[in-house]
Amino acid sequence: MNEPVDLAAIQAEIRERVQRKRASGAYGDDVRAALELPLPGGRALFSEDLGDPLPALQDTLAEEATYDATSHRRFVGPAITLGRRVVIGLVRWWVAAITDRQERINQLLAQAVIDQRDAPSPQFDERLARLEREWRRWQKDEVAADLESKYFAARFSGDEKDIRSQSESFVELFRGRKRVLDLGSGRGTFLELLRDKGIGGYGVDPDATMNEAVRGRGLEALTADGLSHLRSLADGSIDGLYCRHVAEHVQPGELVAILREARRALEPGSPVVFVTPNPATLTVGAHTFWLDPQHRRPIPPDLFHFYLEVEGYDRVETRTSQPSETRLDESVPAGPVRDNVKLLNATLFGDRDYAVIGWTPAR
Amino acid sequence: MTRVHQFHPVLAPGDAMSNHVFALQRRLREWGHEARAYAIEAKPGVDEVLPYRRLFRDAAPEDLVLLHFSMGNEVFTQLAKLRARKVLVYHNITPAEFFRGINAHAATYARLGRRQLVEMAPAMELAIGVSEYDRRELEEAGYARTAHVPILIDWHAYDTTPDDAVMARWDGVRPLLLFVGRVSPHKRQDDLIRLLAYYRACIAPNARLVLVGGYRDQPQYHARLIELVKALHLEPAVTFAGPVSTAELVAYFRSASAFVSLSEHEGFGVPLLEAMKFDVPVIAYDAAAVGETVDGAGVLLKDRDLAQAAEAVGLVLERPALREQLVAAGRERLKAFDPDQVALRTREVLGL
Repeated sequence: MNEPVDLAAIQAEIRERVQRKRASGAYGDDVRAALELPLPGGRALFSEDLGDPLPALQDTLAEEATYDATSHRRFVGPAITLGRRVVIGLVRWWVAAITDRQERINQLLAQAVIDQRDAPSPQFDERLARLEREWRRWQKDEVAADLESKYFAARFSGDEKDIRSQSESFVELFRGRKRVLDLGSGRGTFLELLRDKGIGGYGVDPDATMNEAVRGRGLEALTADGLSHLRSLADGSIDGLYCRHVAEHVQPGELVAILREARRALEPGSPVVFVTPNPATLTVGAHTFWLDPQHRRPIPPDLFHFYLEVEGYDRVETRTSQPSETRLDESVPAGPVRDNVKLLNATLFGDRDYAVIGWTPAR
Repeated sequence: MTRVHQFHPVLAPGDAMSNHVFALQRRLREWGHEARAYAIEAKPGVDEVLPYRRLFRDAAPEDLVLLHFSMGNEVFTQLAKLRARKVLVYHNITPAEFFRGINAHAATYARLGRRQLVEMAPAMELAIGVSEYDRRELEEAGYARTAHVPILIDWHAYDTTPDDAVMARWDGVRPLLLFVGRVSPHKRQDDLIRLLAYYRACIAPNARLVLVGGYRDQPQYHARLIELVKALHLEPAVTFAGPVSTAELVAYFRSASAFVSLSEHEGFGVPLLEAMKFDVPVIAYDAAAVGETVDGAGVLLKDRDLAQAAEAVGLVLERPALREQLVAAGRERLKAFDPDQVALRTREVLGL
């Protein structure tokens, strides 16, 4: 018995082929023109016109209806032709009266439909504008977008030294790679580490000013939104992804989309590393996480682990880092009290960050 | 013993509907019933067809009258009044939209057919759809009792020697894309021609397209297709084979690399199964009953995108393992249309 045909895989491959040919120019304008060439010798097929009815309606209204009364039948043809012409002559003014009325109805209806489409609708437009305004305000308010970010950064942002030492622990995973993407590259700390190890990489960050400074240090940093950038990448065009402190800034749906697009854009067998605050440490989940108003929601490590698995990454693991500075003193005699202190330390003062690491499936 | 009268406006050799009528007639006789076929027009090459007017005399109240319905015709309205047990066998009616502006005659009869479909509902004791898609339309049209029984295909008829001339003509011509079906706007032969333009530009420059099927009924569409072929400089690559004999049909299937359908409306789609019968892989746009007939035994295209359709054909042809899989799936699929099973099912729903 043969294996069943995997139609979904075939469909995906077909789409990919068309995209590739389009990108390579093999499927050029001349081919596109051939595919779209209208059927010569008359109007487009009515079933096609129905797809875009308004222009077709205008064309049709301008058209003259014709009828050829000639019969080509042998012997009786001329008689039939004559008969038809006589009948047409007899009913002509009656038909003209009907068609004239119908013509008026058609023109009026077509005009009404077109006016309706183009007509300004004051109340509707106003309500739509208000909705859009309020939606934009809501989006800004939700993350305190108007807060002066340089003052905020001065008071709350992480210590450069800490960031560097944390990033160093992951850089080995990318050894020998040629095109690693640092999504949310910020001050370029990780990019610098990559360069030091001879690993090829570039950064993407929405902050243009920061990117300017990063480029000033001879590193490559593009100004873009992370998800849009991933979407713009060709399949298999990068071979590693590092993404530190980004996931907590995006909606869950966007995070899933990032994972999905990354999987597509990464070569088979490439590593991905996502670092984010660890809400399993309660002083983080209940307190320090919320020190940044742009944080949308904490992501429990188990959930992030699950996201990666369900999006098809292999060998998914979770690692914690950045131990809390404050800790309860554990130097008490062995026994229930010390066990309890340890448990409290783990729950309240555990590691402040964690990373989920995964690999795109090998070919 | 029951007397069964079958009617279809035109009975012609090689036409799917007529083949269905004659295959059923043979079965009915095997089961010991008296079976007759009636038509308004019997084309040369079919025997034993009675003029439809005879039905008004022949049909007794206890007789069964099967009305095969695929196109509007004034005669159906008269036959619906017959005092007999009437069963509608619905092969679907192509919506008039496909003919508007290109064939006023076909559009008029398509519209009439849709109207008659609704009007005849109260007169029928049963309505049979040859696909589930058709059966659902019957239900929507107001038929109280409906059933789904596929077309009865007499596969033995295909056990004939392929036509030598056709075999010789296409010997070694690869890839050869084939479509079988009347030349008609709803079958979208125009899109097959455009697809071939892509195929030759982006996949295989020597690809050919053969369109088997009569074009007499759609002279305007046929003429415009020829213009399209010229505009795309495809004259040597596209062949309109016209109506063909069974031996020629078999030869075309034997010569074909792939069967490609971009038809936008099929009530059943017999050629899809014929392709499977001859181990030709099927790539088809998923419209009306096509998906149901193919049912996994071919590449079904969900998007109306000619580049994707062409790439699908290319993929199947360059990958022998995939081709084999499709062919094997096709053979498996044909089992669902085993004539003995279909005949039994027909007998069951007709209560014979």
